[in-house]
Amino acid sequence: MPVLSVRDLSIDYRTRRGPVQAVRDVTFDLEQGETLAIIGESGSGKTTLAVGLIRLSPRSARVTKGEIRYDDGKRAFDVLSLDTERLRRFRWADCAMVFQAALSAFNPVITIWEQFLDTGRAHGMGDKHKVHDRTRELLDLVHLDPDRILRAYPHELSGGMRQRVLIAMALLLDPRIVILDEPTTALDILTQRAIIDLLRDLRAKLGFATIFISHDLSIAAELADRMLTMYAGRIVERASVDDLFYRPRHPYSVGLMRAVPRVSGALGSVASIPGSPPDLIRLPRGCSYYPRCPFHVEQCLEQDPPLIPVDTPDHEAACIRWEAVAAALGSDAEAPVAEKLA
Amino acid sequence: MTAAATTVDRRDVTRLPGPVAAVVEFLRTMSRKPVGLIGLIGVAFFIFLAYVAPFIVPLQDQVDVTSIYAKPSFLHPLGTDFQGRDVVNQIVYGGGDIITTAILAALFSTLIAITFGSIAATVGGRIDSVILAITDVALTIPQLILLIVIAAIFRPTSFFALAVILALLQWPALLRQIRAQVLSLKERDFVEAARSLDLGLMHIIFREMLPNMRSYIVIHFIIAMTLAIYAQAAIMFLGLVPLSGRNWAIMLYFAYNQGALFFKDSFFYLMGPIMAIALFQLSLVWLASGLEDVFNPRLRS
Amino acid sequence: MATITPAQGELQIRTFQRSPLSRARGHLGGLWGRPITQAILKAVLTVYVTSTITFGLIRLMPGSPVEIKIDELMQQSQMSYADAAASASGLFDINLNAPIHEQYFEYLGNLVHGNLGNSFLSKGTSVMSIILSVLPWTLFAVGTGLLLSFVIGIGLGLIAAYRRNSLLDHAVSTGGSIISSVPGYLIALLIVLIFGIQLRWIPITQMRGAFSPGITPGFTPEFVGDILFHASLPITVFFLTHIGLWILSMRSATLAALEEDHVTVARARGLSDGRITTAYVGRNAVLPLVSQFAIAAGAVVGGAVIIEQIFVYQGVGLRLVASVNQRDYPLMQGIILMTTVCVIIANLVADLLYSRLDPRIGRAGGATGK
Repeated sequence: MPVLSVRDLSIDYRTRRGPVQAVRDVTFDLEQGETLAIIGESGSGKTTLAVGLIRLSPRSARVTKGEIRYDDGKRAFDVLSLDTERLRRFRWADCAMVFQAALSAFNPVITIWEQFLDTGRAHGMGDKHKVHDRTRELLDLVHLDPDRILRAYPHELSGGMRQRVLIAMALLLDPRIVILDEPTTALDILTQRAIIDLLRDLRAKLGFATIFISHDLSIAAELADRMLTMYAGRIVERASVDDLFYRPRHPYSVGLMRAVPRVSGALGSVASIPGSPPDLIRLPRGCSYYPRCPFHVEQCLEQDPPLIPVDTPDHEAACIRWEAVAAALGSDAEAPVAEKLA
Repeated sequence: MTAAATTVDRRDVTRLPGPVAAVVEFLRTMSRKPVGLIGLIGVAFFIFLAYVAPFIVPLQDQVDVTSIYAKPSFLHPLGTDFQGRDVVNQIVYGGGDIITTAILAALFSTLIAITFGSIAATVGGRIDSVILAITDVALTIPQLILLIVIAAIFRPTSFFALAVILALLQWPALLRQIRAQVLSLKERDFVEAARSLDLGLMHIIFREMLPNMRSYIVIHFIIAMTLAIYAQAAIMFLGLVPLSGRNWAIMLYFAYNQGALFFKDSFFYLMGPIMAIALFQLSLVWLASGLEDVFNPRLRS
Repeated sequence: MATITPAQGELQIRTFQRSPLSRARGHLGGLWGRPITQAILKAVLTVYVTSTITFGLIRLMPGSPVEIKIDELMQQSQMSYADAAASASGLFDINLNAPIHEQYFEYLGNLVHGNLGNSFLSKGTSVMSIILSVLPWTLFAVGTGLLLSFVIGIGLGLIAAYRRNSLLDHAVSTGGSIISSVPGYLIALLIVLIFGIQLRWIPITQMRGAFSPGITPGFTPEFVGDILFHASLPITVFFLTHIGLWILSMRSATLAALEEDHVTVARARGLSDGRITTAYVGRNAVLPLVSQFAIAAGAVVGGAVIIEQIFVYQGVGLRLVASVNQRDYPLMQGIILMTTVCVIIANLVADLLYSRLDPRIGRAGGATGK
């Protein structure tokens, strides 16, 4: 039983020029304990989707349709149907979210300990000592010194430390799902490495499911079990990590793979995807990737291609030309794409 | 002056000559937030009243002892004062002095602030420290109290002198702002370019940086005017300056001291100047607020 | 630029200028490590400069008050120049025969001992004692009015921000904007005029003075009630003059605080709205306002002058006007100095308060400071 089942989720932003369709008909499942990576360029709707899952979108955003079904074996409900109080309790306790800018994720005028306490208290952990013990446990888990950290104010900690604290705080209530939105983007390479290792470690120890949002493919490759590619608000490919990296079937996924520079490659082997994403207010008819797609044909303009199984039933792509893509990549598709991960 | 227009295209505007189109665009932006437009209208009204109306309405100066504190009537819409003179007439003639003095004071203080603020920021170092120290001290002394004492000692006999005194008390606030702005502009590329071309300090200040601070300066000028009016009215109301004339503040002084307060009928003799000053201040403040929106498109929600 | 509609002129721009941080860091090139040392240094400097300015005003300007006094004495009492000079010398408590710089140092020396000279009119009464007898009344009225306006103002501002663009928000913001644009003394006049005279709701003649004659001072409820009765109008005016500023400041500060990332994270953490409003939004929004408050307290002493005149409230403002009308120069000088000292103290308190409340300022430790 998947812990999270999203069906046809669509989210709009209200703007003066009209509604921006940031997320369109998103459907996916998240199994218990698995790590799902969502990749795509800026503006593809990844973050809107992520915050939308816990209904934390800004006021101008509206869910126009869909359902988000949560089921941890003990309780099951549609997140979209929760009232304010139940939603508040759902957040963090069942599903926690680690944000991108951990730098300003904390209240600057109260200590780290108080913020842990706040979190605990908000979810019924009335006993201060219990909260304290659990907090210390978690801080140890993320390799931080509890004595020093708890007394400190957020500005006294480095970026990497704050990110770890945020991760520790996210696990305070033992959630079943942890959403990570670009957790390493603002950090330097060494700290990135440390955080990634930490995440892998924690996941193994505590067994929570993860939704990992990133535009950094290499990180996704390291941590994910399965991957989703998003473009212009829609999911255009759904596959296991191996399938997506070795056998991408949607032209956009192929483009993304090609856009990663190879450490061992010759200069000029990097290809960016020409063009830019479509206007989400006035979406063109048919496939939204059409203008930038090297495989497009007339037929692509007729309607938005649905996700169809390719190769195997677990691998889906929203492209009517996937066979052509497969053929183009051919058998040596494996080599250049795989090389990049070397 | 206005930022790039975000309005939907209005083809008619582009057919008008440049300056007119700019004015129309300006008005249109102002009208989005009613406050600014009301302020603009208010200020325009009072300026008209103070400077143009006296040419239209003849001065009624004769003392008429028979109609002291007369009730409002058709002949005297706001009644008469303690010497039987028409109140409306006095209000019409009462704005010029005050507004002129305010404009002068604002002008002087702005000039001082710009000059020394820019110098402090561009030259830096010890001169900057000295100027900042002086400014801080000047900011700390309670303005009105110092003004009262200075006015008592120097007894300005002309409005011009008063304007100078007022300006001397108002420059510190603007100077700090200008200095901060210049400091931030100093690092920008176009200043680097000017410096590498060895264009003199004055050139850099006045031709390169100031045009970028136009919005600040205009808004602060308006606010300086409100401060000047506040201060003027204060000391004239207290009767501390030997200035004669018939401006609003002096009207207030006479009204208050001649006991107009205690007669029911002389209500408008007091209300007149009070409302005139208050409404003019309000208009200025609202105009400044509206201009802020025009100059800073990011604030428009 | 502030998005706040300017309130009481002085106050608005003045407070917007003063970032305690900027002053604490100062421009002495970091010679003095502790910000508090710098603040005190600056305070002393200001007192020094102010006293020098007043010294200059009284002594050095052409047509200085001393010269005028001498002329007066010569004309009115038919004294010779020497006699008049001697008399003036006694009155001003300065030695006219000594060279200027000696007079200056003597003046400064007196100041350090708290000797501000003697009043002209009430001969033998020291200026300091006069000021100390009237200053508390002013501080009481100003302080109470300001405090009330602060507390209520930030409450309203917070609500207005939370209900942005609602009718309440528009009403409160516009109301605050209007009130804060009208000079305080006009509000006072309007109150007297409309409520006192025209409508006769307020017995203003009875409310003159700081307390009613015939009531013995003391901590009795009767006396305290009487004081409050007399001070109620000035307090109301101070309240009205400043509430606009707090409403608008708090509103914009709250709106800014609501945009902060940590508030979003707090909501993601499932914190209750109440907790978020007080500890996450409120505390961050109020921070800059607290130091503004202390600064406002210092600045408003000046504005109290006219208001005390209108309500005949025996505070330091009324005394100042009286001293001006009576040419009591030592008293005028003393009042300038003492009120400046008030402002300085208020600013110091503002700095202190801010550095206490905001942990990002003034704390030495930490792996990476901001």
